[in-house]
Amino acid sequence: MNPVLIALAAALAVAIPALATAWAQSRIGPAMAASMAEKPELSTIAVLMIAIPETMVILGFVVAVVILVRT
Amino acid sequence: MILAMSKVRILGPRARLDDVLRALQDLNLVHLSTPDTPTPLATVSLTTAQERERRHLRAALLDVEQALEALAATTGPLAAGPAIPATGDFARWARLAGRVRRETDRLKTRAAELEDERALILKYQHFFSAFRALLESEARWPNATAYHVLVKSGDAGAIPQLRASLTAVIGDEFQLYSQPLPSGEIAVLVVVSAQAAGRVERLLAEARVQEIPVPQAYGGHSLTEAIPKMLARLGEIPREIEDGRRRRADLARAHAAELRRARLALHDRLRALEALPLSGVTPRAFIIEGWVPTRARHDLETGLQRACGDDVVVGELKKEEWESEQAPVVLANPRLLRPFETLIRIMPLPRYGSIDPTPFVAVFFPAFFGLMVGDVGYGLVLAVIGLLLHARSRPGTTLRNVAEIIGPCALFSILAGFLFGELFGDLGRRWLGLRPLAFNREDAIVPFLLLAVAIGAVHVLLGLVLGMVSARRHPRQAMGRGISALMIVLVILALLAAVGVLPRQFFSPAVIGLLVAFPVLIVLEGLVAPIELLATLGNILSYVRIMALGVASVMLAVVANKMVGAIGSVAVGILFALLFHLVNFVIAVFSPTIHALRLHYVEFFGKFYSPGGVRYQPFGHWTRAPAPARAAPRTARHAA
Repeated sequence: MNPVLIALAAALAVAIPALATAWAQSRIGPAMAASMAEKPELSTIAVLMIAIPETMVILGFVVAVVILVRT
Repeated sequence: MILAMSKVRILGPRARLDDVLRALQDLNLVHLSTPDTPTPLATVSLTTAQERERRHLRAALLDVEQALEALAATTGPLAAGPAIPATGDFARWARLAGRVRRETDRLKTRAAELEDERALILKYQHFFSAFRALLESEARWPNATAYHVLVKSGDAGAIPQLRASLTAVIGDEFQLYSQPLPSGEIAVLVVVSAQAAGRVERLLAEARVQEIPVPQAYGGHSLTEAIPKMLARLGEIPREIEDGRRRRADLARAHAAELRRARLALHDRLRALEALPLSGVTPRAFIIEGWVPTRARHDLETGLQRACGDDVVVGELKKEEWESEQAPVVLANPRLLRPFETLIRIMPLPRYGSIDPTPFVAVFFPAFFGLMVGDVGYGLVLAVIGLLLHARSRPGTTLRNVAEIIGPCALFSILAGFLFGELFGDLGRRWLGLRPLAFNREDAIVPFLLLAVAIGAVHVLLGLVLGMVSARRHPRQAMGRGISALMIVLVILALLAAVGVLPRQFFSPAVIGLLVAFPVLIVLEGLVAPIELLATLGNILSYVRIMALGVASVMLAVVANKMVGAIGSVAVGILFALLFHLVNFVIAVFSPTIHALRLHYVEFFGKFYSPGGVRYQPFGHWTRAPAPARAAPRTARHAA
């Protein structure tokens, strides 16, 4: 297969979940900031909640690795 | 582990109830609960006088705490005095606290007013400086009105326009002076005859020119009169602020120790009053029930006997008479594992009778962290930071716990660094000939990925096994979790056989096992079980983040090292490389911590953790630190 297309596919496998992660974090961030204003003890939970959508980009990264390694 | 608790019932003559409560407060061992015993017990209600006393004590306590806060004297020695305060002491403390609070409120309000006044004068100060000479001319215009105007920076063209507009409206009956200010704005003074004032005001309003008003508080209608007063006032304000500070320090010196003693006594008395309704009584006897760590039961018995004699009896309720969910929770782990309780306390406490995950977190958290950082150099830097934090923190504080968690994390990072042959990225390989003992993370991405998934499988399976153990009293649920764990193993075996890692012969038995286990799982756990099984497989894949973060970390370190040759000057290259390593180190500490925590809280705890435990809060004397700090050292020291 054309190496340019392979590279593009791998890039998209990371880029699209990265955008999704960014969108999810943009929604979680303000919500957690508002929660922390009322309950500062939620700060640790807030950091964890922010980290949860990162699963998407990490799995996207794995797919990209598989694309690059398998072809 | 979660410390074993005993539910105790204390019986005695009703007349001794107050003595017993006082002794229990001194012992600081019993977590009180309302007696479960049915009639003929009545709960003790506070009398009208006691209710009134409680209201007054609360009001006095509020005053004391606000006063101490305002005096910045919440910690420090207590004033000397008898251990048990007299009734008159409480009234005296209430009066003192009220007086000090009112005085501190007054000082605080005055300080805020002075700061506001200073800020206002400073706002005018530059304007004054620019016009000091010009304003003298205002005095030579007795029948004139002065307008003080600010023109925004970069809008110098506005001044000729203003001059032209004024000429058009009032002819030459005005004087216009302008001076640039340090802020870039231009100060303009317009002096016009009193007859033309009305027309000029309309002109300024229409042109939306920003006129600076003369503050009324400093008297007069002109800045000429206000300036000297304002400048004189500016000199007085710091002295007045300092006077306020000195007065506050005097108050603290005179009353803080007494107020701290009052705070302790008020808290203690309130606690005693609030404990009273937790007792059950008959016309002649009382019953108090509560929880005590099993190993401290003897201390309770001997302590009560010493304080109250043989009139009072302590008995232990049988396990069948209480539900484990009601028992308070005390986490008690060996010294090495104890810092990791901090990570458990971020979550709601585990229920009594469930599993305390601290020992597992103490092993897996540093291991995951180490695998993600995986660099001898970064590990050493982290160890140094941990030692510094340890040296600068006091025992028992969160900072000390963090320092003690950093230690194992640094150790695992160094060990993983040797496994992957990394010292500040590829620097160890290039300079010291460091070779990976396992594999090189830069190249061996697929083996690292498989290692991460394998670790995930082990961790999640361990979670399922712990879930089975924690559900041991509910056989159906325990079997369901066991079948789930078995199916996960079978799926992994089938996959390994399919890709040729295991012999092909494993494939068919594994698939047959899955087909047999599937209906059993549905019968035991319901239709939602297959979805949960898929979620569990997803949980295992989530451990891939160990590989992803690890590879990102080493790649950033390698890029940092390449900067030395890539940028013209070697010195600049080294500077950039150091900066990049610093950034990578910060990311390498922060990100693995978050993700290792997430793997525990979401993927691992989700399989067995039962939150909702009640915190063990023994009835005792008040301290600023959480209540368990005052508990008997042998028993309740580790209460969450």
